[in-house]
Amino acid sequence: MKYLPTIGIECHVQLKTRTKLFSEVDNDARGKEPNSCVSPVDYALPGMLPRLNEEAVRLAILAGRAMNCEINAESRFDRKHYFYPDSPKGYQITQFYHPIIGAGYVELPSGGRVRIEHAHLEGDAGKLTHFDGYSLVDLNRVDTPLIEIVSMPDIHSAKDAHDYCKELWRLMIYAGVSYGDLYNGNMRFDVNTSLAPEGAEELGTRTEVKNLNSFKSVERAVEYEIARQTKVLESGEKVVQQTLGWSDATGKTTPQRSKEVAADYRYMPEPDLPPLRLSADFIAEESAKLPMMPGDFRKKFGGVIAEDVLEVLLDYPELMQKLGEINEEYVKSISNLFASVLLAEEKSAEYLNDLPSSEDLTELAEMNEKKELSSTAAKEVFLRLFDPQMKGRGTKRIAKELGLIQENDLGALEAIVDTVLAKPETQKAQADYKAGEEKVIGFLVGQVMKESKGKANPGAVQEILRKKLA
Amino acid sequence: MEIKREDIIHLAELSDFSLAEEEIDKLGADLQGIIKYISQLDELDVSGVEPTYQVFEMENVWRPDEVVQQDASREQLLALTKESKDNQIKVPKVL
Repeated sequence: MKYLPTIGIECHVQLKTRTKLFSEVDNDARGKEPNSCVSPVDYALPGMLPRLNEEAVRLAILAGRAMNCEINAESRFDRKHYFYPDSPKGYQITQFYHPIIGAGYVELPSGGRVRIEHAHLEGDAGKLTHFDGYSLVDLNRVDTPLIEIVSMPDIHSAKDAHDYCKELWRLMIYAGVSYGDLYNGNMRFDVNTSLAPEGAEELGTRTEVKNLNSFKSVERAVEYEIARQTKVLESGEKVVQQTLGWSDATGKTTPQRSKEVAADYRYMPEPDLPPLRLSADFIAEESAKLPMMPGDFRKKFGGVIAEDVLEVLLDYPELMQKLGEINEEYVKSISNLFASVLLAEEKSAEYLNDLPSSEDLTELAEMNEKKELSSTAAKEVFLRLFDPQMKGRGTKRIAKELGLIQENDLGALEAIVDTVLAKPETQKAQADYKAGEEKVIGFLVGQVMKESKGKANPGAVQEILRKKLA
Repeated sequence: MEIKREDIIHLAELSDFSLAEEEIDKLGADLQGIIKYISQLDELDVSGVEPTYQVFEMENVWRPDEVVQQDASREQLLALTKESKDNQIKVPKVL
């Protein structure tokens, strides 16, 4: 029997606010001592009052609009109770009943759509490190603002699961709501997978793989679950609904704690936080701050940049914005330079943090087009535009200093050609060419290039040579 | 609504309480009484009435996103815990 996989994904996104969701404590604990970014509000001493971070509300609106979601004018907070050392409160403050972000959709690069059920604001939990016989708790991460994005079960392949997660990541970094550093857990994915016989009306029993932190892990975990569940079903057994962990090292999922049913969390309205009532004006004003999104760039550059190149470059929002500033006739050649030269460089990430001006890039493309720079020279100058020693000098000056400007002046070129043709070592080649040996023209061009110290335009040189030897 | 022994045991487990046998019965009876008292409200027809989430009529209580130096130190936090190690809170192994 053939089975159709159905996948729904929950994604936690850490927002890049300065302070935590409910306290005025530093939210950026990178490189800081454990438990140094914590206030009594975060660990819930009796009498502490959480106060909502306005910026988290603004970023949630942007994130919602990036996913084409309705923003709910009224939203509230609830307590989700559980007992675990990562939460000294004994509950998580979340938005269970009235989330701030309503329904919307994410468009995949393939054109498919994944609907968003809703997304809500909530606080992150602390971090546990496990040792032999004990665990250590660091509360720095407690109440870092998160939005949890809940998709509809619209995904049917491991590849689409991968693409959806990657597109979400792009949306969040383009919208500027998260640093999007997956390695440090800025985005984490929980993936629900089920199989049903093709054509069946009801979905099969699902499993949930928790806490995936790379697109590749999402793809591999879904592939693994599809294969595992197919085997279970084909042997006539039933898939057990359970929570699983994933190991990149073994490439396998393994059962975790049994799934608690929703009622066990004993949700109740958070009495310490008054509701949010956002005016239409406020929502519109914040929504208007959304910059161009990946989908907008796909529309803008669709006919200009090759699709595979565009999909690579779309990972870099600053780069896309820069390309947006450049005259369309040069976008293709400049985007090719970025794709073929820069991304192959070891330091590309560093370089991308500080891009050359659009004027410098445009001038480079112009010089290349006018054949003042050969393709090789253009690549060389392009890299120098990122060089801390050279950048800011302007493209033309850099090209001149490196002696890379091609000789296009026909008079000057002719003089060089004449010099070469007068040399004894080229006499035999000239005779051979005249006798009909076409390919020796390459040798002669090479001699002229050498004479010009590489500055001559080889196309023009060949033309002059052919005329002179005709 | 009837509160059974299993309900009390389940609730205790969720909160990681250990209860003595006689406490289970006593708490069960207490909770049953509380629920019975609250259940009087069931007599009212509240269909179409917006639930009361809070009574202060406040909304949009938020603060600017600016870091404020905290008075409470890490040492004070760690002093509240049973055990600590390397500036972290030490707990029995959980997975």
